[in-house]
Amino acid sequence: MTTLELTPPVIQATQVLTIAVGAPLITGVIARVEAMLQGRHGPRVLQPYSDLAKLFRKESLAPRGTGPFFLAAPFVAMACYLTVPLLIPVLTSYALPLGFMGDILGGGFVLALASFVVAVAAAETGDSYAQLGSSRAKTFGAITEPVVLLVVFTVAIVTATDLPYVLGATVRSSPDQIVRPAHLLASAALFMVILFETGRIPIETHTGTTELGMIEEARPFEHSGPYFAVLKWGSMAKQLILFTLLLNVFVAPWGMAATRDVGGVLLAVVLLLAKSCVLGGVIAVIDDSFAKLRLFKITEFVAAAFLLAILAIFTLYLGGG
Amino acid sequence: MTGTGAPTLFDGVANTIAVVVLLLEFLMLRAAMLRAQVRLYAIQSLVVSVLAAVVAAGRDVPELYVLAVVSFLMKAVIVPWLILRLLRDASAEIAGSGVLSVASEVLLAIVVAAFGFFTVNTLDIHSDVLPATALSVAFAVVLVAFVLIIMRRDVVSQAVGFFSLENGVSMVSLVVAAGMPLILEVAFLFDLLVAVVVFGVLMRVHHGRTRSLSTIELTRLRG
Repeated sequence: MTTLELTPPVIQATQVLTIAVGAPLITGVIARVEAMLQGRHGPRVLQPYSDLAKLFRKESLAPRGTGPFFLAAPFVAMACYLTVPLLIPVLTSYALPLGFMGDILGGGFVLALASFVVAVAAAETGDSYAQLGSSRAKTFGAITEPVVLLVVFTVAIVTATDLPYVLGATVRSSPDQIVRPAHLLASAALFMVILFETGRIPIETHTGTTELGMIEEARPFEHSGPYFAVLKWGSMAKQLILFTLLLNVFVAPWGMAATRDVGGVLLAVVLLLAKSCVLGGVIAVIDDSFAKLRLFKITEFVAAAFLLAILAIFTLYLGGG
Repeated sequence: MTGTGAPTLFDGVANTIAVVVLLLEFLMLRAAMLRAQVRLYAIQSLVVSVLAAVVAAGRDVPELYVLAVVSFLMKAVIVPWLILRLLRDASAEIAGSGVLSVASEVLLAIVVAAFGFFTVNTLDIHSDVLPATALSVAFAVVLVAFVLIIMRRDVVSQAVGFFSLENGVSMVSLVVAAGMPLILEVAFLFDLLVAVVVFGVLMRVHHGRTRSLSTIELTRLRG
């Protein structure tokens, strides 16, 4: 009896498809858990798919005076988001051919490019709220960047490379690697960065309508129809990418396919989505148990993440990390 | 593929607990409510007791179990309870803001902690009970406690800073002298109780004179 083996390019394409197709599901699960914690019934788990389908059918309008960049931005951003799954371990524990195209830093740059393109498109509209959102996103993005860099440095010192596949393998190798303070601190710092990047409490309310507190959510205000749908889909994909990075590289790099047969890869897809749902549940609990920080308190949140990351480096240098 | 120089499981656990103590010290820096600060101190003492218990179990030093229990009772139950009682009489809730903003305080404390880390590391002290990293972290706890005492301008935060400094010192003693006679350790703990009484009197007198717990008004001796 022979098992059906997939070629690496097919697995690589499956990684991208998993992120693209699975992302709205995770968003739906988080919204549902959040609603249940608040004592509401909440929307269906599959609601984000319907929302996207609805937006794709609507007409699209562009503000007067915007150029082709405004219309191209959502697609460039989406292309960036779908490039990153090629670089990180989504389904397999071994590196796929394109996995060495870029390291964690490279993936970070691609995500930053996407966020930059969206910010520029928002700035082009002349709408005050969209501009406010993009300017805030860039301001606070600049202060979270050092945290991300320190997390990458930690990975680099631990594994002597900065390839996500290698760190995942290191974490799997023995329990010593899990309880070391550097690993725990770096994972916690990355988690805080993810809360920031996905626009969750305590940084901003994800579903709110108060424009003055918005950062990420304010940027696609002027897009409509399919363009808005692609932007929304992109931010969902970004969320799942960051979850995958945290789960499959730092916190829980188990349950990925070690071979190329179909069953293993399909199981990995299911397990990744299950792990992401659990992480989403945790984030929903945080969403419901904390208040949104005032805008100028965000620096304190980032300072805390910075503290965790820099302590990770310190303990490593002392030889005890 | 394994990473470079991962510590053993025991060292990893001990270091992680030590780092948690340091993180709690940093949390005290940003706690705005007096009660929250006392609560953080209680948690920190609990974690230090856990570290003592871990060392006792991992390195087979049975008298450290006694120390863990005594220090838990003293520092995580009795001392916080006493401070909270004093606070109830003073009817003050919010610690005044520090000299600097919270984010700058944290950054300053990071610099100070880094100084502590690397100076102790160059001393090249080794112990067969705990990894040297725990010593550096304990030293950083002491220094950050100093930052807390210096930056905060209310008596309670300063007192809590002093007590948590003692937590750092007992962590240092766990690293360099885990086999220290128990009677000495217990004597230190009762020393702490004396400090609590002294700080209690200080808080009461201060509150009685200035009707607040803030030390900003204490400028009469300024030249």
